[in-house]
Amino acid sequence: MAFVATRGLRGYITGDSPVPWLAPLVAMLMVFTIYPLFYNIWLSFHEYAPFKRQLVYVGTENWNNLFADPRFWEALSVTFTYFFVLLAIQIVLGMFIALLLDSDEPGFGLLRGLLTLTLVIPPAITGMMFLLLEDPEFGVLTYILEGMGILSGQNPILATSSTALAGVMLADIWQWTPFMVLIFLAGLRSLPQEPYEAAMLDGASAFQTFRRITLPMMSKVIAVAVLIRGIDLFRAFDYMFVMTSGGPGTSTYTLSLYAWQQTFSFIKWGYGATLSLVSLVLILVIANLFIWIAKVRW
Amino acid sequence: MIVESKNRRYARMAAAWFITALFVFPLYYWGTTAFKQAKEIFSVPPTVWSFTPTLRNFEEVFGISFGFLRQQEVLPGGGNFYMAPRLWDSIVVGLFSTALAIAISTFAAYALSRMDFRGRHHFVAWVLSTRMMPPVAVAIPMFFIYKDIGLMDSYTGIILIHALMNLPLAVLLLKSFFDDIPREIDESAIVDGASRWKIFRRIILPMAKGGIAATAVLCFIFSWTEFIFVLTLTQTGLKTVPVVSSSFVTSTGTAWGNMAALGVAAMAPAFLFILLVQKQLVRGLTLGSLKQ
Repeated sequence: MAFVATRGLRGYITGDSPVPWLAPLVAMLMVFTIYPLFYNIWLSFHEYAPFKRQLVYVGTENWNNLFADPRFWEALSVTFTYFFVLLAIQIVLGMFIALLLDSDEPGFGLLRGLLTLTLVIPPAITGMMFLLLEDPEFGVLTYILEGMGILSGQNPILATSSTALAGVMLADIWQWTPFMVLIFLAGLRSLPQEPYEAAMLDGASAFQTFRRITLPMMSKVIAVAVLIRGIDLFRAFDYMFVMTSGGPGTSTYTLSLYAWQQTFSFIKWGYGATLSLVSLVLILVIANLFIWIAKVRW
Repeated sequence: MIVESKNRRYARMAAAWFITALFVFPLYYWGTTAFKQAKEIFSVPPTVWSFTPTLRNFEEVFGISFGFLRQQEVLPGGGNFYMAPRLWDSIVVGLFSTALAIAISTFAAYALSRMDFRGRHHFVAWVLSTRMMPPVAVAIPMFFIYKDIGLMDSYTGIILIHALMNLPLAVLLLKSFFDDIPREIDESAIVDGASRWKIFRRIILPMAKGGIAATAVLCFIFSWTEFIFVLTLTQTGLKTVPVVSSSFVTSTGTAWGNMAALGVAAMAPAFLFILLVQKQLVRGLTLGSLKQ
């Protein structure tokens, strides 16, 4: 398709080249992602020297320390635990609630609308909300769990290392399970009816129908939801920062939080940069591997 | 349509309402905490239903006197929990970063939707991969870069970084909205001699109005709820609402009532907005890859 040829800059802008259209985006991404990335790599070979009050070159010291640092391995394990456990819980719970809400009965539209509300709350405020609910003295959740005999007064949820991560996870489950529900529901609502009618005529059980018809037809929807939720789970920061600051001990230290605290609380600028690079590389590898295996396309 | 038996229908309804109620309860509890007095907030067993509502928490947080149910005057200058300026910071950052993100991404999305150039697929993958970057891996180097160039603690700095954060979402989402407009429309305009720019201004933008508005709303919400960039890149100059929540934790205990009042004020506009984009929400949350 030929365009009317005009000369000069005007012609360039009105013509067929994508360059002027993409230039602002590319400039912005270069300045705010590529440059910081190289800066971060540079930073990881330096460390702040408190006596000289400046950054000094330390070679690969930060990278060597990384593998010998037990707290790094603990942060990695917390990050992956958080990632896999919550992904599993939110997929299963999300699918269950989506199947439950997949109905044209009156009132179900309202229920779907109510569930979307959790998605727009600032996660830091959600963290505060659950801090109040899980307060050892006057928290509603503490009160209920103690009443049920699950929790004893001596072990506050967020101050006991065995339960702190679960306490933080609860906030994430509450806020983001509806994310899964909405996406799964949109998928369920767009499925064709014929396979279900055929399955019913064949006398298939509800579980068989779900396994053989619903799941395969939903695979793309599930893959997209898992990808996007997975990325955010791996970067988890806000809830731990607000609710526990990583403690008690290292029980809720994620990689992101550990990197942030090394940089800004312990003034280990180089080491913090190293840790943040590790989390960057891990997430890029995992996410792109997933995109490739699950054949997610944009 | 597969018809359910009556009992199953009722069971489904009951279960659906029960589960939704579980999800709404924390919101209800937080919302009512904003209207409670300290003794009701700290009571054991917790006060859930019966309390005497007060506007005191809102009065303190916004520095306005509502003139009723008041026990004492609001402190001049607002006192420790005066947060109205923080709400203003959030609004300014949200509006400007959204405008910037939308301006940049409508152009890019048009090119990605309508022009066939080499490496387009890789370009989209690159944009998507910037969405995967952990914020901490951007926030740490940006802290040093901002300090060097003087953008630390400034509106400009936060607006730029929030716009950046929203770019992948905005580009991919707008591309999906532009893809919905049939290509035949532009092609017939090209036959009539219209330029790319004219097609963009006169056809694409007006036809994708709804999609652009939905994208803008989502960008605003994500800026409104963002935490780690504002936490890292500001000191005293400005702070958005999510970041000030820690200032309610004092040596004498946490000011839960005031914090809840601020939280309610932070959630109310977001709730309103999300209802506006209900129809595009799934598409937005999946960066344009799933259509409702």
